[in-house]
Amino acid sequence: MTNSIREIRDADCLFIIGSNTTEAHPVLAMEMKRAALRGAKLIVADPRKIWLSGMADHYLQLKPGTDVALLNGMAHVIIAEGLTDSGFITEHTEGFEAVRAQVRDWTPERASAVCGVPADEIRAAARLYATTHRAGIYYTLGITEHTHGTDNVYGLSNLVLMTGHLGRESSGLNPLRGQNNVQGANDAGASPVFYPGYQRVTDPEAQAHFEAAWGVPLDPDPGLNLNEMMKEIRSGGLRGLFVMGEDILMSEPNVSELEKSMPALEALIVQDIFLTLTAERADVVFPASCFAEKEGTFTNSERRVQRVRKAVEPPGQARADWEILLALTERCGYTGNAGMTPPEIYDEMAGLCDKFAGISYARIEAEGGLQWPCPTSDHPGTTYLHSDGPLRGKAQFIPIDYRRSAELPDPDWPMLLSTGRTLYHYNAATQTRREDGVNDKQQTCFVELHPHDGGTLGVTDQQEVTVQTRRGEIVAAVRLTTRVAPGRIWLPMHFSEARANLLTVDDGDGVTGTAEYKVCAARIVC
Amino acid sequence: MAHPDGNRADDKAVSIVIDGRQVNARAGETLLQAAERIGVTIPTLCHDERLAPTGACRMCLVESSDSRRMVPACRHPVVDGLVVQTETERVARHRRGLLSLYAADVDVVPGTELQAHIRRYGLDPGLPAANAPRAGRPDDDNRYVLFQPESCIVCARCTRYCDEIEAVSAITLAHRGSQTTIATVDDVSLLDSTCELCGGCIDTCPTGALVERKSAHRQATFPALKPVRTTCNYCGVGCQFDLQVDAAANEVVRVTSPAPGETTNDGNLCVKGRFAYGFIGHPERLTTPLIRDEAGELVATDWDTALDRAAALLQKTAARHGANSLGFISSSRCTNEENYLVQKLSRAAFGTNNCHQCAAT
Repeated sequence: MTNSIREIRDADCLFIIGSNTTEAHPVLAMEMKRAALRGAKLIVADPRKIWLSGMADHYLQLKPGTDVALLNGMAHVIIAEGLTDSGFITEHTEGFEAVRAQVRDWTPERASAVCGVPADEIRAAARLYATTHRAGIYYTLGITEHTHGTDNVYGLSNLVLMTGHLGRESSGLNPLRGQNNVQGANDAGASPVFYPGYQRVTDPEAQAHFEAAWGVPLDPDPGLNLNEMMKEIRSGGLRGLFVMGEDILMSEPNVSELEKSMPALEALIVQDIFLTLTAERADVVFPASCFAEKEGTFTNSERRVQRVRKAVEPPGQARADWEILLALTERCGYTGNAGMTPPEIYDEMAGLCDKFAGISYARIEAEGGLQWPCPTSDHPGTTYLHSDGPLRGKAQFIPIDYRRSAELPDPDWPMLLSTGRTLYHYNAATQTRREDGVNDKQQTCFVELHPHDGGTLGVTDQQEVTVQTRRGEIVAAVRLTTRVAPGRIWLPMHFSEARANLLTVDDGDGVTGTAEYKVCAARIVC
Repeated sequence: MAHPDGNRADDKAVSIVIDGRQVNARAGETLLQAAERIGVTIPTLCHDERLAPTGACRMCLVESSDSRRMVPACRHPVVDGLVVQTETERVARHRRGLLSLYAADVDVVPGTELQAHIRRYGLDPGLPAANAPRAGRPDDDNRYVLFQPESCIVCARCTRYCDEIEAVSAITLAHRGSQTTIATVDDVSLLDSTCELCGGCIDTCPTGALVERKSAHRQATFPALKPVRTTCNYCGVGCQFDLQVDAAANEVVRVTSPAPGETTNDGNLCVKGRFAYGFIGHPERLTTPLIRDEAGELVATDWDTALDRAAALLQKTAARHGANSLGFISSSRCTNEENYLVQKLSRAAFGTNNCHQCAAT
C-alpha cells in the first residue's frame, strides 16, 4: 500500500476493485465502512456482488478478466473531459502521451461492449474518482490473479498518475496483501529475482554486496518463480523441493498435473504445523511452530513491521521455523548463520537493505511498529509513499491493451468459473477447518450459481452437482444466488475434499507467474 | 467536509478549565476528550471512542459552568471559557448512587469496567436486588458470542458497534423499560442473522454481559491470565491483539484486542483473528520429525536423523543435477526472519535463486 490503513477513514472517494474486502480483509473493511458512513463515495468494481457493493455509490459489475477495458475506458473519460492533473503529470511522470494515444479509441461505449458495465456508469465512476481530492484505489487478487494481472495493475497506476492521486494522505494505490506476511516475505528476498530489500539478483553491485556479506559466491541469474517451479517438476527440471508453510497440493493451480509428477522428486522436504496433503508425500517432515509459539516480525500491507511474540510452547518436539532453518542450513554446509537469534537475523537483513536499515526490535518495542522506508535509526518511518514525488525518478505511464483471458467459455464449457476466499475460512484452511465455530457457518464446499442458470440446468438450491473443467472435477452444493451474474459461477478454495485448484488453469501472468485463478471455462453436471 | 489542505472546518481553538487546569481544546471536541488529553479520567460505561456518543449511562456526569444540572462529559461540547469540575462531592455522590442502581440490577462480573468503577467509587446506598430479569437468547447456538442478560446494563455499546463499525446491524435493543434487552430480529441465532461473528460486541461490552462462549466458564479467571501482545497470523492487515495465556496450562484461553486508538486495527478484530485460534494447541499438530522409511511409510524420528536426512537428500540432488534442480518455497505465513533464512539457505548454501514465497501464485 502506498498509504496507511488509518488514512482510509478520511478518504472522500474509495475505488475498490477486485477486492472482496469485508471477507478477505474484514478489519480494513471496517475503515472503509466508516468512511462511507461519514459520507465518502464508494466505487466498487467486482464481477460478483460483494457486501460492499450494497454500500457503493457506483457498483460496476464487470465481466471477469475485462479490467483493462474498464480501466482504459475510465482513462479515456478522464483525458477526454480534461480531468487530468497536468501539473503532476509534467512534474512527476513520463510516458503520458503513449497512454493518451492508447486509450483514445477506448470510448466508454467500446469499453462497455467488452466489460459489460454501462457506458454512463464508466463515465460517472471516472469523473467521481478524478474529481475527488482524497481518492484512493484498493485492490487485491481480483486484479492480480490473471494472465494479464500486471496489465491490470498498470491500468490502475495510469489512473493514479493522470489524476495525481498520489503522495498524499488517503490518496494512492493500495494492494491489500492477502496473507499476514506476503509483504514481509517479499521484503526479505523470498523471490527469484530479488535479494532482500528489492535488490535485483541481476545487478552486479547487489550481487557483490550480498557476496561480501555472506562470504559465498552467488548465482547472477534469476531463479524460477513458483509457477515455473511447479511446471519444472512436471518436466523433470526440478528434482528437489523444500517447502515451508505451504500446502502446494491445495494451493497450486491445475494440481492434478502436479500431483502426477510429484513421485519424480528425489527430495521433498516439508516444514509445517500439520500433516498437510503435501507433507504426506514428503521424504522428511519437520514439525514447526505457529505464530503464537515463536519470536519474530511480520510486515503488514501498509509496510509496518510488527512483532510476533511467543505466548506458549510448541507441542512435543516441534521447533520454531527459524531454529529449524538455522540447523538445516548448517548441515547443508553453510555456517554463516550459526547461533543467531531472531533480532540478530533481523539486524543482519536490515543492515543489508537501505529500506529497513533504521528498523530494529528495540525500536519496534518502543514505538509499536515501524513502516518502511525507514533508512536510519532516527527516521520515523513512512506512513504514505511518494510525498516528494515517485521514489525513483519519474513514474512511468504504461500503455496497455485488453487481452482475453487464457480460457474463456465455449459451447462445451459454457460457464465462467472464478475462485476466491470467504470470511470464515483462510486459504488452504489447515487452521480454520479445525475450528468448530467457523465450520458452523461454512462446513462444506459450495458453488454459487445464478437462479436463471439454476432453472436452465434444473438445479435446486443445496443440490450437489459436479463442477468440471478440462483439468478436473469436484462435487459441491449449489447456492442459487444473484451475487453472481448469469453464465458465471464462483466457488471457494478452502476445501481439501473439493479442491478448487483441480479446476483452475495454470497459465500465469507473464511478469509475475501468478496463475489465473479468477477465470476458466467450466460446466455443471447434475 | 474536508478541505483540500486537510484542515477541518471546525478546528477553532478554545480554552477551558478542567479541575483548575487550563486546557486548550478545539471546537467540536467534548469535555471527555479535552479531559483525557490532560490525563483526567472521567468514568464512563456507554462510551467507546469509535462510536457516536449517546450519553445514555450517566456515568460521566460532571459539573460544568454552563449548566445548573450536571452534564454528560462524553457528549457535552467544549465552549470557550467553560469551567468544569470532575471530582466534586456532588459528582461523587451521583456516581455512588448510580452504581448502586446498576449493582442492584445486574450481576457484577470481575475484571470489567463496571466492577472497576464500583471498586473506585463505592456503592451508596446499598440497594436490594431489583429482580427484574431481561430476556436472553437461550436457543442461540453460535459457538462464539454468549449473551448473559443478567449482567447487561443496556448501555447499547454492542448494538451501536454492530451498527456503526461492523455495520451489519445484527443485534438491536428490544422491548421497553426494565424489559429492555439485546436481541436479534425474531430472536434467531446469530448464525442465522446478518452477524459476521467479529466479536466486537464482546470487546466493547463494559459489564461482561457479552463474553466469548468458548471461555465463558473461565470468566472469573480472566484477570489472572497473562496477555501477550502479538500480530494476527491471518490476512495482511496486521491486527495487533493480546493472546490471553494460562501459562501453567501452556494454553491460549482467549484473544482480546488492544484499546481503541492504540494500534492500526483501532481495537477491532474479525471472526478469524478473535476466535479461530483453536489450531494452536490442536491435537493434530505435528509433534515429532518424520522420515520416510524403507517400506515407504512416514515414521517418527529424532531431530538429528531428520535434519541429516534432509540435508543429504538436498545435497545429493544438487550434486547429481546441479543447484538449479532445487527449489525453495518460503512462506508468507512465516516471519521476516524465517523468510530471510530460507532465501539464504537457497542462495548461500546451495547457490540457486530458485526461491519464492508461497503467495506468489
